[in-house]
Amino acid sequence: MKKQFSFSAYAWGQFKKNRPAYISLWILGSLAAIALMAPILANDQPLFCKYKGEVMFPAFSFKTSYEIKDAGGKVERIQPDIAKWKQMGLEAVVWAPVPYSPSKSDYLNADFKGPGDKQMFRNDKGQMVEMPTRFRHFLGTNKKGEDVLSGLIHAARVSLSIGILSMGIATLIGLVLGALAGYFGDNRLVTTRGRFWTFLFGLILAYFYAFQVRADKLADAIGTGSGALILNLGISISIFIGVATLFSFIGKGLGMLPFLNRKVNIAADSTVSRLIEILVSIPTLILILSLAAIAKPSMVNLMLIIGLTGWTGIARLTRAEFLKIRSLEYIQAGQALGFTEARIIFRHALPNGIGPAFVVIAFGVAGAILAESSLSFLGVGVPPELVTWGSLVNSGRQQFSAWWLVIFPGMAIFITVAVYNLLGDGLRDALDPRLKT
Amino acid sequence: MLKYILRRIIIFIPTLVAITLLGFAIMVSAPGDPVERMVVAAQSGGEIGSQTANQVEQKIYWNKKLGLDLPIFYLSLSTQAHSDTLYRMYDRNEQTALDRLTGQYGNWDRISAYFHSLDRWNQAHSALRADSSTAMGLSIDRMKEDINESFFETSSLKSTYSQAVIEAKFAKLAELYSAPYFGSLRERLAESKGLYEEMAASATPWKTYIPALNIYPNNQYHRWVFGDGHWLTGQGATFTKGLIRGDFGTSYVTKEPIHKVISLKVFWSFFFTVIAVFLGYMVSIPLGIHAAANKDSRFDRVSTVALFILYSMPNFFVATLLMMYFANPDMLAWFPASGVEPLRGFAADAGFFEKWSGRLPHLILPIIAYTYSTFAFLSRIMRSSMLEIVGQDYIRTARAKGLSERVVIYKHALRNALLPIITVFANIFPAAIGGSVILEVIFTIPGMGNEAFSAIVNQNYPMIIAVMTISGALTLVGYLVSDVLYATADPRIKY
Repeated sequence: MKKQFSFSAYAWGQFKKNRPAYISLWILGSLAAIALMAPILANDQPLFCKYKGEVMFPAFSFKTSYEIKDAGGKVERIQPDIAKWKQMGLEAVVWAPVPYSPSKSDYLNADFKGPGDKQMFRNDKGQMVEMPTRFRHFLGTNKKGEDVLSGLIHAARVSLSIGILSMGIATLIGLVLGALAGYFGDNRLVTTRGRFWTFLFGLILAYFYAFQVRADKLADAIGTGSGALILNLGISISIFIGVATLFSFIGKGLGMLPFLNRKVNIAADSTVSRLIEILVSIPTLILILSLAAIAKPSMVNLMLIIGLTGWTGIARLTRAEFLKIRSLEYIQAGQALGFTEARIIFRHALPNGIGPAFVVIAFGVAGAILAESSLSFLGVGVPPELVTWGSLVNSGRQQFSAWWLVIFPGMAIFITVAVYNLLGDGLRDALDPRLKT
Repeated sequence: MLKYILRRIIIFIPTLVAITLLGFAIMVSAPGDPVERMVVAAQSGGEIGSQTANQVEQKIYWNKKLGLDLPIFYLSLSTQAHSDTLYRMYDRNEQTALDRLTGQYGNWDRISAYFHSLDRWNQAHSALRADSSTAMGLSIDRMKEDINESFFETSSLKSTYSQAVIEAKFAKLAELYSAPYFGSLRERLAESKGLYEEMAASATPWKTYIPALNIYPNNQYHRWVFGDGHWLTGQGATFTKGLIRGDFGTSYVTKEPIHKVISLKVFWSFFFTVIAVFLGYMVSIPLGIHAAANKDSRFDRVSTVALFILYSMPNFFVATLLMMYFANPDMLAWFPASGVEPLRGFAADAGFFEKWSGRLPHLILPIIAYTYSTFAFLSRIMRSSMLEIVGQDYIRTARAKGLSERVVIYKHALRNALLPIITVFANIFPAAIGGSVILEVIFTIPGMGNEAFSAIVNQNYPMIIAVMTISGALTLVGYLVSDVLYATADPRIKY
């Protein structure tokens, strides 16, 4: 039996033929694995150890203290996060591949010790000896004696998660807005006068009841902590959706009355295009910097800011794609069958129009990672104690002789960005062979 | 063409308005009270504000000067319970407290009566004198201390809104007033407490669920954009002439007008951006053509890889590397590490040539860092657009005619291949402005980017918003210029 031709299989075959892109997919996979396993790969607490007959797994446990009884009945209390594991004389131990945590100082090797410099180590007998190879800081330390390699591994988490999650937000916004703009254009989204005005009024009321009336509660929740904030935001958003839906139904009813049943055109395309134009006309980095300056420095805020400013490219492409798709036969068939607009857009048109967006998403992740590392290089928008690739490069600026602080994290950013760019190139060539360069 | 340009400029206006709205929204939602900052800053400076000894007067002065005594926007969605004149309060903490109390009790007239009684109570302290006649035989020091404490507690009551805290403060004051020398203040306490209980008893929280729409023709946004004089002519402006007349307000840090700061700083940013864009085009066009004309040659492969690497390098990494290798006494101290001029400055009679040759070593590293990303980006586009053109039928026809390769590439292909590279002009311009923040910080160039960065660090919001608005406007101009260039280069496009 002849195998059916499928575009995705063809595109995948094309993509595989593109060596650099295919290899970069593998590099990306390993980077993601490193990021996921960071606490196991670089941790100053042993993965497994045996101390005075007691078996412990400090790196995997959430315990804040261990109590160990020795033969005489004396209780020794160990706090895993501040215990000096390397000097305790453990009976058996398995260390993480990098036996250091990112923001914990090794005071013996403070003040910029390079990979080739003489490093010191205090062994379990309390003697100062030259660093054994197992515990070397292979990529050196910074001013406070924090291990650079460990910082690199943990920062991979920050960069990749900000890159991917912020682009996730951007993709969601971009696809929906682009699809609406392209599919409906300026004169295909038609509703009744009654429904339009009722819904608009309902949106204002929904905002009022969800956010204005509850403003005090939300402000208090910001002070209490993230749990209360998420709960209160959830309540507010549910109220918003509830009120908006209610008014949408009322509007549907009102739209049947005379005078209110006249048709109204909603210019979806113009609205979205204007929105894109406004966002695009403000230099991204300056916009992100301004927003980061008023928001509390945190990873979540950074993700939101980069995501909320980065959707324009995706929206533009999806719009262009939908302009093409909406006049194709299968869409007309769907309309003839009486499918709802939502079903046609999301079930039938979107899977066909999503291809080009992947290319922009891949480049977008690269851009988001660049933006994150630029911001953390400047020290804006990221919590000061968080170790990131950008903050490591910045710390190397204080002391140029500490080249390892600049080269290694810089290369890490470069490789990640390059991998995403290669991926984007590969996807573009695979999905649209005409553009092949 | 002229008609097209005019039409485009008219379309700019709503976009510009939206940008100012966005900037204004960011400025308004910024944390912290600018008046507090200004009053603190004024105490060390020699502003007019510091001549008025009274802090309250200073607060009122800065409130007026910064326009914070106005409502925020033309429209405001509020509730039936909330007063529509709350914005007139000059103290942000008291404003918040009143707002919160309204949210809890919903009866504005009672709340206002309670608040005024607190005010009277607080002011009544000035009538008390601590001396031997009023101390009634008790220690004068103790009396002074008690009065101070009472004064402090009553002022802090004005910015308290939590029920538990208010009741605790009342209890504490009642205990304090058991001392014999408080006299009339006891009546004040009883009055305030009575009014507080009345307020709590006659609470109408349902009022907070009924929306109210207020309209304010004169507001902070209006003042920010049009100044505080006549909106069109600008006559009678006392504090600000408004955005449309180039007045961006007062810097929170230096307390100077922002347009003065900007006019001092804009030169260097503009200089580097223009040089970077110019050099970028000069290098990338021939490079892209050459690579595309000799596709798959060694030159093409090497340059493609090299350009890709350059393109993926973060600019702050490249800049730091350049500094590390070429401006570092331990490696190669070829170039000075910072600034755009020798530290000692120039002699007063230094000529143009002397000045620029003194500056040149300072400029080389920044120019490389500014240029490389532009040029990598442009070369990639140039190569791919050239490749696309070279594959088209009319090029095949030209070759079939027997034209030389040179004529085919430079005469037939180039003109069309230039089109995409012209359109990206609009993208490069803002990118160069935005990218300059990092590079100016690294090379300590006294330009807009550096100023924007220090504004962010010092939370100098008017400055941040000014930079944002200006670069937004410049980007719009960039779009217009690129569209006009596009039409000039491509005769098929007519507007």
